[in-house]
Amino acid sequence: MFFTHWSLIKKLTLREIKARYKQSFLGFFWIVLNPFFQMLIMSFVFSKILKIGSLSVPYPLFIYAGLLPWFFMVNGLSSAMNVFISDSSLIKKIYFPREILVLSTLLAKAFDFFLSFLIFILMMIFFKVPFSFFMLFFLLIFLIEFLFVYSLSLILAAFNLYYRDIQYLFNLIITLWFYLTPVIYAVEFFPEKYRIIFQLNPMAVFINAYRQVLLGGDFPKWSSLGIGIFLSLILFFIAKKIFQKLEKNFADVV
Amino acid sequence: MDKNIAISFRNVSKSYPLLYQKTIKEFFQAFFTKQKTIEKVKALKNINLSIKKGEIIGVIGKNGAGKSTLLKLIAGVSYPTKGEIRINGKVVPLIELGAGFHPELSGKENIFLNGVILGIDEKYLVEKFSEIVSFSEIPMDFIFTPVKYYSSGMFMRLAFSVAVFSKPEILLVDEILAVGDIAFQKKCMDKMNEFKKQRVTIVFVSHGMEQIKRFCEKVIYLKDGGVEFFGDVEEGVGRYEREILNAKHQTF
Repeated sequence: MFFTHWSLIKKLTLREIKARYKQSFLGFFWIVLNPFFQMLIMSFVFSKILKIGSLSVPYPLFIYAGLLPWFFMVNGLSSAMNVFISDSSLIKKIYFPREILVLSTLLAKAFDFFLSFLIFILMMIFFKVPFSFFMLFFLLIFLIEFLFVYSLSLILAAFNLYYRDIQYLFNLIITLWFYLTPVIYAVEFFPEKYRIIFQLNPMAVFINAYRQVLLGGDFPKWSSLGIGIFLSLILFFIAKKIFQKLEKNFADVV
Repeated sequence: MDKNIAISFRNVSKSYPLLYQKTIKEFFQAFFTKQKTIEKVKALKNINLSIKKGEIIGVIGKNGAGKSTLLKLIAGVSYPTKGEIRINGKVVPLIELGAGFHPELSGKENIFLNGVILGIDEKYLVEKFSEIVSFSEIPMDFIFTPVKYYSSGMFMRLAFSVAVFSKPEILLVDEILAVGDIAFQKKCMDKMNEFKKQRVTIVFVSHGMEQIKRFCEKVIYLKDGGVEFFGDVEEGVGRYEREILNAKHQTF
C-alpha cells in the first residue's frame, strides 16, 4: 500500500508542511522555537527555582532530549485524531486508504522533529558535549517511536469519529502521562519501588534510550528498548485490525 | 460480469447505524438510563440496477431519498449492508468545492494535490498542466496565488478542470454544476458530451429537471430508499414532478 500510494502520501505530507509555513511569517521557525522556548522556561524553573536537576549533562540539554520525542508524540496524536474530521469531505467522496491521511500527518510532524533536532545538535556544540557514533541509534529509536505513535493514532483517529469527546479525554490523559514520563526529571528521582512504571511506559523507554545514545555516548539499554519494541509491535497489529474493521464505516459516520 | 456493464447493483441494501449519542459522556448517561444508543436507519432498500457503459443516467428524488448514498456506494466510499455491487471502470467523483483543496496552497499546488487524490499519475499532470489551467480559464499568473483568494466560481472551475483530465470511466456528478456562469456551464456540458462520445458512464444527481432532461437519456427516480422508476428520462421526470405536485395538493 505504501508504494502504490507513494505519490499521494508525498503530496498530502507536503500539503501539511507547506500550509503551516505559509500561514505566518514565523511559521516555520515557530515549529522549532516552540520546543526551544519551552525548554528554556522549564530549565529555568526546574533547575534554578525548584532545583530538580543535577546530572552529568547540562540540564537544558537533558530536558530538550526529552521534550522533542514527547512533542512528536503529543503533536502527532493531536493532529492525527482530527484528520478524518477536517478532511471529511474527501472521505465522503473518494476512496483511498484512510491510513494515508494519518501517515502523512505524522510524517509532517516527523519533519518538525528533525528540524528541532538540528537545534539540539547546535546545543550540543554550545555546551561542548562530545558527539559519538552511538548518536546514530537515535534513528532506530525514532522508527520505533513512530510505529508506536502511528498505531495509537490509528486507534484514536478512528474512535474520535464515533465519539468526538475522545479528544478531551486525551488531553487529560496526556497531562498525567507527562508527569509519569521522565521528561523534566531523571529516573533516579523517582523512588525505586515505583520505577516499574518506566518499564511499562513506552515514552519513558524511548526517552531514556534517546538520552543514552545522544548524551550518554553508549548503546541504549537493549532490555528496556526490547520491551518498547515488543509493545509497539503488538499495538501496531491491534491497531491495524481495529482500523480495518472501522474504516468501512468512516464515510457513513463522519 | 458482462463487459458492457459499468455499474451493477444486486439486491443492495444500506443501513446506517445511527448513534444517538455523540459523546462518551452522553453514551454512559443513556446506557444507564436504558435509552436507545444505536438505531439502524435504512437508507437504501433492495436496489437492483444495471447501468451500461456510456450511459448518462440522472438520479432524482426528494432530499433523503438516498441519492448521495447511492453515489457513495458507487464511489466505493461506503459499503452495502446487503447485496452485491460490481463496478467496472475507474470512478471519478466531481469533488465539491473545497474538498481536498487547501486554501493556503496555490492553484498549481492544488491541481497536483487534487489530481493525485483522483488517481492521476504525476507525470501526466505535469504534461497536461497548461491544458488544465487553460480549461479552467484561470489566468496563468493567478494560478500561483493561494486559492483562498479565488472566487467560488474559480474554485469550481479549477476542480472541474482537474476532474476532466482524470480520464474517468465512470463520472459521478453531485449537484455542483449549478455554480459557474453560462459560458462555463456550456463548457461543462460540451465536455460532458465529449465524454458521452468517449463512452464514459455518467451518473448525474441533480434537482434541476431541465438539466436532467437535456443531458440524460435515462433517469433513476429514488423514493424512500427504493428505485421507484428507472427508464426514459421524460417519463421518469414527469412521474417525479407529478408526485411532488400531488403531495403539495394533499397538504392543503
